[in-house]
Amino acid sequence: MKHTEVLPGSVGEGLQQRGVTRREFLKFCTAMTAMLALPPAMASVMAEAIAKARRQSVIWLSFQECTGCTESITRSHSPTLETLIFDLISLDYHHTLQAASGEAAEHARALAMQDNAGKYLLVVDGSIPLGDPGYSTIAGISNYDMLVETAKGAAAIVAVGTCATYGGLPKADPNPTGAVAVSDIIKDKPIINVPGCPPIPVVMTGVLAHFLTFGSIPELDDLGRPKSFYGETIHDRCYRRPFYDQGKFAQTFDDEAARMGWCLFKLGCKGPVTYNACATTKWNDGTSFPIQSGHGCIGCSEPNFWDAGPLYKALSMPVSATSAMLGTAAAVGAAAGVAITWHNRSTKAAARTAHEKVTAQELLREEK
Amino acid sequence: MSATLEKGLNSFKEVIDAPIASFFSSCVHCGLCAEACLFYTETGDAKYTPIHKLEPLRRVWQQEYTLLGKLGKALGLSLPVTDAELEEWEPLVYDSCTLCGRCSMVCPVGNDLTYMIRKMREGMAASGHAQEDLIAATTRAVTIGSPMGIKWPAVLAQIKHVQAETGIEVPVEKEGADYLVLMSSMEIINFPEYLSALSRIFKQAGVSWTLAQDAFEATNSGIQIGASDLAREIVSRIVVAAERLKVKCVISPECGHAFTALRWEGPNLMGRPFGFEVKHILEVLDELHKAGKLKTQGKDKRALTYHDPCQIARRGGVVEQPRRLLNEVASDFREMPDAGVMNWCCGGGGGVSANTRAEPLRLQAFKHKKGQIEATGAHTLVTACANCRIVMEEGLEHYHMNTEVIGLTELLAQYLVEDNAT
Repeated sequence: MKHTEVLPGSVGEGLQQRGVTRREFLKFCTAMTAMLALPPAMASVMAEAIAKARRQSVIWLSFQECTGCTESITRSHSPTLETLIFDLISLDYHHTLQAASGEAAEHARALAMQDNAGKYLLVVDGSIPLGDPGYSTIAGISNYDMLVETAKGAAAIVAVGTCATYGGLPKADPNPTGAVAVSDIIKDKPIINVPGCPPIPVVMTGVLAHFLTFGSIPELDDLGRPKSFYGETIHDRCYRRPFYDQGKFAQTFDDEAARMGWCLFKLGCKGPVTYNACATTKWNDGTSFPIQSGHGCIGCSEPNFWDAGPLYKALSMPVSATSAMLGTAAAVGAAAGVAITWHNRSTKAAARTAHEKVTAQELLREEK
Repeated sequence: MSATLEKGLNSFKEVIDAPIASFFSSCVHCGLCAEACLFYTETGDAKYTPIHKLEPLRRVWQQEYTLLGKLGKALGLSLPVTDAELEEWEPLVYDSCTLCGRCSMVCPVGNDLTYMIRKMREGMAASGHAQEDLIAATTRAVTIGSPMGIKWPAVLAQIKHVQAETGIEVPVEKEGADYLVLMSSMEIINFPEYLSALSRIFKQAGVSWTLAQDAFEATNSGIQIGASDLAREIVSRIVVAAERLKVKCVISPECGHAFTALRWEGPNLMGRPFGFEVKHILEVLDELHKAGKLKTQGKDKRALTYHDPCQIARRGGVVEQPRRLLNEVASDFREMPDAGVMNWCCGGGGGVSANTRAEPLRLQAFKHKKGQIEATGAHTLVTACANCRIVMEEGLEHYHMNTEVIGLTELLAQYLVEDNAT
């Protein structure tokens, strides 16, 4: 098989320089194709497209975040497939990973924006505080201003992590900083939401591979998430699902049922309402995922998960109502019922009082 | 004094009770009642959907008895029920509903639509929107004693005729008799066979019975028109006579709504339980048959089919009895499709037969019964309601069908073993 022509400055050249064999590269493309649920024939198409492509310029902005998202991606850095993410892209600006600092760092961002105007990919993690610009600034620039400025020339935006996608923990009640998601501010650019606290690394690489191959963004659901990763709930793909179907539940974290690996629904597992790929791709190079480790899903990739009820209460239990509230509601309901019944009864009693005995003569109307 | 809209609306408010409130609030608008209604299936006109016939009553319920409705009414957002609307609804309520109860059977949430139409007619009557022929019939029932204007001398003439024919004395005003026998005007005028058949059967069975001079009429126009005050007056005549003669049981004749009026509505209208039982003639005959007191000989060779009168079968629960009796005297008894509790109405119950305006619609609706009769291949139709009988005879005549209609009591009497030796 003839090798794909290696263009200077292309991904292919970069890979050759790093000693990545073509075989390894094809394996990566095949894995990505499978991940994105594309036909097998697309693997070679992807290899061709990616090898020829100029390395995609990426600017990564971090706002109100914990760096967990970056940690997540770097954790899978070596020696797995995810390593290649750094060979596919030209990461022109990233707080945590860049060597430059201060003026030089901001200069790198400005240069990347200028050189790749309209083509660079903007990755954002962290939420943006609208309460006071001073809550979070970088090089004296408020998060809001930096986002708006950088988004202007971006081809697309990838919001990484639940903070950037839905506001995340900073937005949790009472949301002291007035945190919002990227999509709350930027309305005129395609935004791919990759939620999770943190998100799964392969989802990132998958989205990038798709973008490099097709020059477009993958198919998204109504919350802006790639359907190939967020199309099904954890629950639907959970290996403990058969126990749920049989009604076998762990009641505490250390009972016999828990040791037998029964369903964690009653211990607050949010798997049934969480759309993510944890149960299939798993974490740490396919090692495990929370439910496999014995803890229920906390639903970290869903909007407002932090305020969606106690983590250890079953989904079927009321989220916010306390017994006092329920009692009050019942009392108010009963009082309203009594009032309405009394009113209805008086209406009917009045009608009965007003009843004039119908006689045969009174079946006719006067005007008739 | 005359009927007014105010009286009608007040009556609507008065008749809305817990069942009606729950029926309206639980309606899921599925439209299944339409498919159950004779007038819808035969015309395909959506206005004959049973629940639609109740629209004015529904709005009164909503405006007077629901929270949002009250609010809407207070803010002037709801459409009040008007005379014009009730006039428009009059044919729907009186011409295209025979109170047959089929819709109540199919309602998936269990709404008794028939009960609601019956109650709605209260408000229609009080507001002067009852059908005029029904008004005339009701007036005659109240003032003369019978919707067809029959008085005791006419009954007396028939008694004499029956006595001459059968040689059996018809007991009148016999205190302490077991049974008080009632008749419908239709039987007195059109079907004298009933009284004759009954005399012979009762003679043979040794039943002690009587007629009452002031309570021979079983029908109750007050029920049909929807005027409980009048229905009470009419039914009280029977109650008074039954208690005066100290009978154990009152026999409702071969008439549908008379059974409903006396058996089910009667005690509610009177506001007290009766001191006697009420049975339909078929129930009495079935009991006599079970006790071995009703013996028959021979079987009818003709192919026979049986029409279940709605008020007797579906609303009255008398379904098995006619079949047991028929099997005694019929060698070729054929059931109609949907026989029993889901049988189709003749098209003339609930006062529709008395309503001349409804005649074309009634004949159109009869097509369903026509098809059912034809499906059996029988040319003799047995029934147990004089009203069904006259309506079906008219329908059969209209469609030039060669089918004879007879009453079940009369058929049984034809095969009665008359043992004069004992």
